Amino acid sequence: MPAFNQLNTYLYLAVILFCLGLYGVLSRRNLIAVLISVELMLNAASINFMAFNRFLAPHPAVGQIAALFIMAVAAAEAAIALSIIVALYRKLKSINIEQANELRG
Amino acid sequence: MPALDPLFVLCAACVILPLLSFGGIMIFTWRRPFLSLAVSLTASTACLLIAWYIFWQRWGDPTPLVLNVDWLVSDLVRVPFGFLLDPVSQLMLVLVATISFLIQIYSIGYMWGDPGFGRYYADLSLFAMAMLGLVISSGLLQLFICWELVGLASYLLIGFWYEKFSASEAGKKAFVVTRFGDIFFFMGLALLVIFYGSLDIASINAAAVAQKMEPWLLTTCALLIFGGICGKSAQFPIHVWLPDAMEGPTPVSALLHSATMVAAGVYLLTRIFPFFAASAPAMTYVLAVASLTYVLSSTVGMVARDIKQVWAYSTISQLAMMAMGLAAAGLAHGTLFAGYFHLTTHAGFKALLFLCAGAFIHHFGTNSFFMMSKGGAKKLTIPMVTVTIGALALAGIFPFSGFFSKELILGNLWHLDNKLWVGIGLLGAFLTAYYTFRVIFVLLFPRPEGHPAWEKYYEPVAGGHGHGHGHEEEEAHGHGHGGHGGDFPGHAPEWAINLPLIVLAGVTIILGFLQGTLERFLLGESHPHEMNYLLLVLAVGLALAGIALAWWDWGRKGAAWEGFLSRVPALENFFVQKWYMDHFWRWFLNAVIYNLFSKTFTYNDRRVVDGGVDAVALGCIGSGRFLSFLQTALLQLNLLFMVLVLAGVGIYLLMGR
Repeated sequence: MPAFNQLNTYLYLAVILFCLGLYGVLSRRNLIAVLISVELMLNAASINFMAFNRFLAPHPAVGQIAALFIMAVAAAEAAIALSIIVALYRKLKSINIEQANELRG
Repeated sequence: MPALDPLFVLCAACVILPLLSFGGIMIFTWRRPFLSLAVSLTASTACLLIAWYIFWQRWGDPTPLVLNVDWLVSDLVRVPFGFLLDPVSQLMLVLVATISFLIQIYSIGYMWGDPGFGRYYADLSLFAMAMLGLVISSGLLQLFICWELVGLASYLLIGFWYEKFSASEAGKKAFVVTRFGDIFFFMGLALLVIFYGSLDIASINAAAVAQKMEPWLLTTCALLIFGGICGKSAQFPIHVWLPDAMEGPTPVSALLHSATMVAAGVYLLTRIFPFFAASAPAMTYVLAVASLTYVLSSTVGMVARDIKQVWAYSTISQLAMMAMGLAAAGLAHGTLFAGYFHLTTHAGFKALLFLCAGAFIHHFGTNSFFMMSKGGAKKLTIPMVTVTIGALALAGIFPFSGFFSKELILGNLWHLDNKLWVGIGLLGAFLTAYYTFRVIFVLLFPRPEGHPAWEKYYEPVAGGHGHGHGHEEEEAHGHGHGGHGGDFPGHAPEWAINLPLIVLAGVTIILGFLQGTLERFLLGESHPHEMNYLLLVLAVGLALAGIALAWWDWGRKGAAWEGFLSRVPALENFFVQKWYMDHFWRWFLNAVIYNLFSKTFTYNDRRVVDGGVDAVALGCIGSGRFLSFLQTALLQLNLLFMVLVLAGVGIYLLMGR
């Protein structure tokens, strides 16, 4: 059975993608990069949905709907996050996440 | 909804009309004295008619009639709202309605020109409402509510001239002291509800008669309820509010002392008399307290100089006598008739005495009967004649009403094994006659001009030092005679003052002869009254001796106006200081209430309550400080932590199973 026709392949792909995204979120100081990493994680989730839909679910459309939803949510999230980043930039003249520390306890 | 019994409607009207009058006057018409008078008098007349109608309707029918509607219903306790009509309550209903009606008439003359005329009548209406409601209520809780309303109304009326410090103080004192007794009353009611389960008067009485209650419960509740009676009926040691209550307008004193406020206590004692009578220890206690009160008030009455004070102490002593009569009847398995009959006759002659005192005070502008005598009190024919009639009744002289009822009570006391009680009763009768006729003789036979007695008893008529009491009337008095209120044309109507005096004097004369009739009405049968000639001779002889002694000290031509007590100055001073009861309570307040309770509770409030709140606040601040270290402002550190926790939970969920 070819590798591209197995569930596990896609799950590994999704895990790798997710871990890359997580690493980006946790390590990058640039907010835009963090945002991109979040998108990666969302895509990993989408891949998971599609894979399970393709190999396990009886109905062919459920996972696709979930993936479409994730795309829509990601678009909205990107818009909001970008506007927050812009606002932050106006205030701090920087988009370095470590400079947003006014709420330090 | 079932059709209401017409009698129920009448009873309800009897209670609601005065309440409406109170509300109406207080809200709408209090600025307009004559309209207020009309409203109040209408309600009072209606009550009078209803009371007499019920009395007439139910004459000769001793079966109690209970008219109830449900009011509070819970699992264990049902509290009905309703009326209990039996001979006891019907007679009292008539009594209260009549006396309060007469006093409203009298007040037209007495309060003429007072700026608070409307308010005065509103308060009188409230008083009538509370007392009528108390008299015919079917359950003890309803009775307690009215009981408190009576206290409220008396507070309002005693402190009626509230601009005067002493009056507002006296009002407060009356309210607080009677409340002190009411605490015990309420505890008694609570005990009854918890352990017996009902507050219905008829049911409690029936259970006590059938000995269905446990003795400890019976005695405890009886003693606690007697605490409330002590407060209301001014028994030792919480009688101290009553003499101060003289600060109110005199018609109010008359109302307070005859048929309403203080009578409420003794009325309660008769109302649940079978309940009380079932507990011999409680009855003995009542007898002892009442006897002590009787002696105390009689002796203090001997030295008072203020006519209202004398009558006030005589009220305390007569209330004590009623309680003694009831307690003795309870101990000797007698009937409530003696005490209740004395309550009835006393209501008549005490109202009469106070209204006469009011007539004198209104005329002379002083409360000291020595100054009245100097002013020529004996020229006021109608008050002088009627006050003498009242005094004869109070002293217990044939054929006035007091004679019959006192004789009955002494007869009850005579039946007890311990002859000490009847001795106290006879001693009290002697003292009562003495101090009563001290007032009468002083009023009737003023000393000639320049007699040294005038120096001794001189009190300035306006302002000045003196008793502390005695000057409250002038302000109102000035208004009364000026007639410059604008609303009040001319002089106060004399007839309004004299009419109630004559009516009450008539009642005082004939009521005694109705003894048999009333007994048949109250008990359903009239026992042939066996005459105890020894006791009769003793009682009347001692009363006459008291009068004779009063004549020797105060009445005869050469009398120096020195009481026989003045030979024992220590004792006289003891009585003048009212047995130091006011001092005792002052000390008690300072030492126990302020220094012990107030201090403890203040400390508790400062340290425990306030401290507790502060501790919570400080704890919040401190823990907030501590937790704020988690706010590192390092977003990614927080995220990392979150991810690790989630991973940990995930691993646990996967592996832990």
